[in-house]
Amino acid sequence: MADQPVIDVAGLRKDYGPIAAVRGLDLQVPRGSIYGFLGRNGAGKTTTIKVLLGMARPTGGSARVFGLAADAPDASVEIRRRTGFVSEDKELYDYMTVDEIVRFTAGFYPRWRRDLEARYLRALELPAPAKVKTLSRGTRTKLALLLALCRGAELLVLDEPTAGLDPAVTEQVLQALVGHVAQGETTIFFSSHQIAEVEQIADRIAIVDRGRAVLAGALDDLRESFRRVQLVFDREAPQAAFRAAGVARVRRQGRVLTVIASGGAESILDEARALGPISVDVAPVTLKEIFLETVATED
Amino acid sequence: MLWYKAWLETRWRFLIGLAILTASACGTVFVYPQVMRLLPLAPSISVDGELGRRVQEAVQLSREYRGYIWSQWFRQNLIQTWTVFAALLGAGGLLSQSSGGAALYTLSMPASRSRLLGVRAAAGLAELFVLAAAPSLLITLLSPAVGDRYSVVDALAHSACLFFGGALFFALAVLLSTVFADIWRPLLIALALAAVVAICEQFVREVWPYGLFRLMSGEAYFRTGRLPWPGLLITSAAATALLYGAASSIARRDF
Repeated sequence: MADQPVIDVAGLRKDYGPIAAVRGLDLQVPRGSIYGFLGRNGAGKTTTIKVLLGMARPTGGSARVFGLAADAPDASVEIRRRTGFVSEDKELYDYMTVDEIVRFTAGFYPRWRRDLEARYLRALELPAPAKVKTLSRGTRTKLALLLALCRGAELLVLDEPTAGLDPAVTEQVLQALVGHVAQGETTIFFSSHQIAEVEQIADRIAIVDRGRAVLAGALDDLRESFRRVQLVFDREAPQAAFRAAGVARVRRQGRVLTVIASGGAESILDEARALGPISVDVAPVTLKEIFLETVATED
Repeated sequence: MLWYKAWLETRWRFLIGLAILTASACGTVFVYPQVMRLLPLAPSISVDGELGRRVQEAVQLSREYRGYIWSQWFRQNLIQTWTVFAALLGAGGLLSQSSGGAALYTLSMPASRSRLLGVRAAAGLAELFVLAAAPSLLITLLSPAVGDRYSVVDALAHSACLFFGGALFFALAVLLSTVFADIWRPLLIALALAAVVAICEQFVREVWPYGLFRLMSGEAYFRTGRLPWPGLLITSAAATALLYGAASSIARRDF
């Protein structure tokens, strides 16, 4: 059971009328990982999360959390009992005070962490007697995070947790997440299009585009395997059709030919040198570049 | 905790309804001495048609206190105001929260949708019963102040007729609230339907001895002393069916 993924999605499809929001998504989130779910707006991230938590029913495929079918009503209740969630818009009950919504939420979770509640109320500077409707977006996000973290959950599902926050609050939220994971066996699955923050805390990622995972794996492995090979010619760069596997993208610009390789650079270097460039430069690729190249490849 | 949430969400509607009905109940009792003074003038009132018939009937009923309370309170003031609040308390809920986004927070809790809806409906029904019974019992309490008595049993029997008969409008508003994402359309549609039913009952009153508002007013109990069990059972069953429909509707919905 320890090897069983916490989240296991296979061929997931979700249509809203004629619009296909998710089209055959495959995803496995290992236990104990911090899993970044990257994608552009409208890529299907929020829809996938809603399916995982039983808020939307899949049109096809399967979605399992803790080995339980997410679309079965009873199993879905059990999934939510073991999961903390922060929604994209961080909407909470405006008519409750901070203290009331904490008490309300704690009532559902037998493993509610009162010690963490006290710590985060203090650390995140949350005003217990204030009405939720009076809180700023940043403070509301911190409250939503507290409500998710204190559930004693095995899995945290966070939908764009830092969207709309200033850099200081974003850093505070990310540090709270990393600190939380460091204390236990919690798995974090968070969606974002903020690549820098994913790079900062995630150990695994999936890039989703148009409802399908176009790239997934351990972040270090991806960084290791992606390379940019830049060839400079003393003439106009030639049209080149590389036969080697793992060529993600080829771009010609004047005398420069840039090749993004997804399976290491070695396989294409021989072909590249055969073109007669005056210089060959192999460099690592940032996650942002991987994301942009992967998503651009899909265009 | 869901009960507490339901209370927080509906408390102002409930408290406003309670305040209005309490004031109305007080008014109904304390106006009675003036009604008694005006009764000798009543035979001079001559109005034709249904309105005239109703005026004459109200005059006849007002000659005794029990008849006056039934005619003015249970058949008129209470039933009209209570029906508005039945629709108002039924409107809203999970779907109307979704426009504000808080629905996702509710749905992230380890509670089934049927439980979410069930607690919300049960809290609303409890509030509705208080809205029917509390002001009516206040009439019993205040009646000695005008030198009369009104039985607790009568107050509760009429309240029960109103509650079990009128729960239909509450359940309809709950069902409509699983279809429309605002509280106004369920409220207005339920009230429009109530108005249509009330008007139709006036037209068929002479040929059709049954009617929802007649049931809600407890007319059968007033005239015979017996509760209209078949009618109450039918309306309760219909309200239950509407609530079941609402639970099925919300269970199928994507958020």
